Amino acid sequence: MKDRLAAAVKLSRADYTEIRVERTWSSAVAFRGRRLETATVSEDQGGFVRVLNTGCGWGIASFTSLDELPAMVTRANELSRAVRVDEPIRLAETRPQTGDAILELDGDVRGVPLAEKKQLLDRYNGAMLAVSDKIVDTQSSYRDEVSEVWFVNSEGTSLYQLRPEVVVSGTAIARRNGNIEKGLESIGLRKGWNSVQTFEEQFRVVAQRAVDLLAAPRVRGGAYPVILDNELAGVFIHEAFGHLSEADFVYENPQAREMMTLGRRFGKQVLNVGDNGAAQGLRGTLPYDDEGTPTQDTPLIKEGILVGRLHSRETAAKLGEQPTGNARAISFRHPPIVRMTNTYIAPGKEGVGFDDLITDIKLGVYACGAFGGQTMLENFSFTAGWGYMIRDGKVAELVKDVVLAGNLFQTLDRIDHIAGDFTWNQMGGGCGKGGQFPLPVTEGAPHVRIEEALIGGDI
Amino acid sequence: MIDRLLDAARGKVDGADALWRREEQTAVSFESGRLKAAGISEEAGLNLRVVAQGRMGVAGTTAAKPDPKELVARARASAELGEAVELAFPNASPQSLPPIPTFFDRTANASLSELIRMGRLLVERLARPDCQVNVAVQREVADTAVGNTAGARGEYRATGIAVTADITRIAGDDVLMVYDQYVGADMPSDADLEALVRSVDTRLTAALKIVTPPDGALPVVFTPAGLAAVVLPLEQALSGKTVLQGSSPLAGKVGEALFDVRLSIRDDPLTPGRPLSRPVDDECVPSRCNGLVERGVVGQFVYDLETAARAKTQSTGNGRRGVFGKPHIGYTNMLFRMADGPQAGAQHAAPLPTLGGGLIDDIQDGLIVDDLIGVGQGNVISGAFSHPVGLAYRVQNGEITGRVKDAAVAGNAYDLLKKIGGFGTDGRWLGARWSPSLLLEGVSVARR
Repeated sequence: MKDRLAAAVKLSRADYTEIRVERTWSSAVAFRGRRLETATVSEDQGGFVRVLNTGCGWGIASFTSLDELPAMVTRANELSRAVRVDEPIRLAETRPQTGDAILELDGDVRGVPLAEKKQLLDRYNGAMLAVSDKIVDTQSSYRDEVSEVWFVNSEGTSLYQLRPEVVVSGTAIARRNGNIEKGLESIGLRKGWNSVQTFEEQFRVVAQRAVDLLAAPRVRGGAYPVILDNELAGVFIHEAFGHLSEADFVYENPQAREMMTLGRRFGKQVLNVGDNGAAQGLRGTLPYDDEGTPTQDTPLIKEGILVGRLHSRETAAKLGEQPTGNARAISFRHPPIVRMTNTYIAPGKEGVGFDDLITDIKLGVYACGAFGGQTMLENFSFTAGWGYMIRDGKVAELVKDVVLAGNLFQTLDRIDHIAGDFTWNQMGGGCGKGGQFPLPVTEGAPHVRIEEALIGGDI
Repeated sequence: MIDRLLDAARGKVDGADALWRREEQTAVSFESGRLKAAGISEEAGLNLRVVAQGRMGVAGTTAAKPDPKELVARARASAELGEAVELAFPNASPQSLPPIPTFFDRTANASLSELIRMGRLLVERLARPDCQVNVAVQREVADTAVGNTAGARGEYRATGIAVTADITRIAGDDVLMVYDQYVGADMPSDADLEALVRSVDTRLTAALKIVTPPDGALPVVFTPAGLAAVVLPLEQALSGKTVLQGSSPLAGKVGEALFDVRLSIRDDPLTPGRPLSRPVDDECVPSRCNGLVERGVVGQFVYDLETAARAKTQSTGNGRRGVFGKPHIGYTNMLFRMADGPQAGAQHAAPLPTLGGGLIDDIQDGLIVDDLIGVGQGNVISGAFSHPVGLAYRVQNGEITGRVKDAAVAGNAYDLLKKIGGFGTDGRWLGARWSPSLLLEGVSVARR
């Protein structure tokens, strides 16, 4: 395949040409309540061509018929030439990469009968349903894939990557009369069959929580000291800050660049943030990004100061910085854009735990788990799965509908304590941006305390 | 292709249906006011569902030359693990399908330079100092063919065009984002593009001044864009699937008056000029308009074939399927309107006279909510929502006084829609939904 792509690149008349071809084998099982929804095996394949000419813009073609590859290279070149630009698009220099990057399959999912996958999910789904007769509905899914990606460009890069992925997730819906609550578990790993065998307890716990939430009051809206658990702290740093550190937001925008000037203070001394696409064995991990740049650990905030950002080759060239291996596409249907990989808040002092964070809070909220988050850059929202009131330094009653309404600058600066209990949180689902969803990412964090944050709700 | 596939399935299964779809897209994008990229995409795929020995299975492929035998074998393997179901495959002939124009020559034939011209026009009209303008124009032509072993066939060709524009204005640490779109089956007229410009402009201008948010239980005008958080729970609850599963708050409530007597909600695949309009759904069921809520009374739920079979009712023609996976329930064009109020046409948006659709005159203190952050991420089906505002304006003594930040609104869609304070005069399409602004009373507003 590499030779076939190299031959097509060679025939291209454009100044820069890249071709990415993907073949993805996947299987999926889903339950809804006690009923199996689907059990399927699929193969998806296609190609993506992107070319650039001096004085012109990007020409892009994506297609499912690989027979069309040479024609698509020609077509992409025509499209590029139809786009005249005043300011040339440049790509940061990178060393051409060649090689095969085969990630550990950890029990090749392609060799496991579909019936066994159904059995596994039936067990997890059954664990949720068995919790209570108040669990009226569940949505459970198992999905695995092995994706082969070939990438060749006209600068001599020629790569083959094998990427496995497996996701199990479940939603339990509890209902009592008109009152409906949900609990959500989701585990996503860049691994295989062996890694997803032992999650019954997690599924049981979320179903029980959905039942418990039926009796929980809604949190009262207002400003509180808030402690985020590891999972929500991870979602928080992804939403609140991660998206702003993606250089495609600032590279064409002088005002944004000013706002995100390297060296600016974003938080207190305790705050250290980074993005590490090269971390071992995580869902956001990739040896190379979708421009063929090796991934790396990129510090973004050091001791409260902005020190870096995430780049594609184009944004790096424009800002005179180095590419970081963050140009990613969810599939051959899309161009690579600047994305996060495994984003983290680094742990605070070893030995500092949750108890140290809560002890001097008179009235506050302990926000746990994550239903999701969204950013509009300066402002963001993140929705906890559940929460507890904090009263006189102790965890008190369970509350529901905990949504944090945040302002980036105010909230980051109000993080005053960070525990030492760091964990990576490997969820399924993924990140969405520019119409590309879901992109596999991981977030990691310890418990984090925000002096004051706004929680929405009845007042 | 459909015929060959169904022929291959015949004799090996109890019944089967299939969908073939081929899509071609052309897109141009302007980043920070500059034309940056042009692209095409071509994709074809085939999806097969079978019922074999009473059990259902599915298989799909994007292979360039799909092998019908291989696909049938894969679908049968899927069926071996599948659930029993008695699907009533419809047998509508192509002649019996309702006539609805889905294909517009102007859209299909628009050249790359025509798409660029539209984008450039928007970039120029929206240019302002210290603002960054992004514009994307995307045109699609799709061929769809559906068929089943009961003899039903359907085929249509559809066009769609989406023009999106967003402005970002950063002043110090203040980030303001305003967005709008034109989506249709036919090309936008110059007046449509002008309406888009005015819509962005009106909202941007009113947002330049920042004011303190109010707090308390207040009257809030939700614009068609801001209404998403209120509409989403209803979309979930009106799906036959959640009703069947027992998780819909509307289950068992058909015929009950749960909403304001003026509220009607319809799903109408026969609306002319909309990209999701079609003569037949993805399971060979002829399209028809369905009244989901009529004058505040729950009318009916939407179904695909399988959910209908399990609920012992009929499909409403809301089957949708992709290349992979099995058919599921999907809405087409959803219309939220005032009973006896203005009809939705194919037109993208009514000209925007001012923000709030004429609903703010009597508001002493309240908000206009145009965008909320994190919609869809809470416990949606319960109707409860709580979101920070993305774009919202304060209204005092009947006047917009400025944009509010750092505020969050919360409420329950079912409670709020019991009594609607008013329907705006600004009804418009936003993607696949048509609605005017709605004035809702007693919405919780919290501020920092």
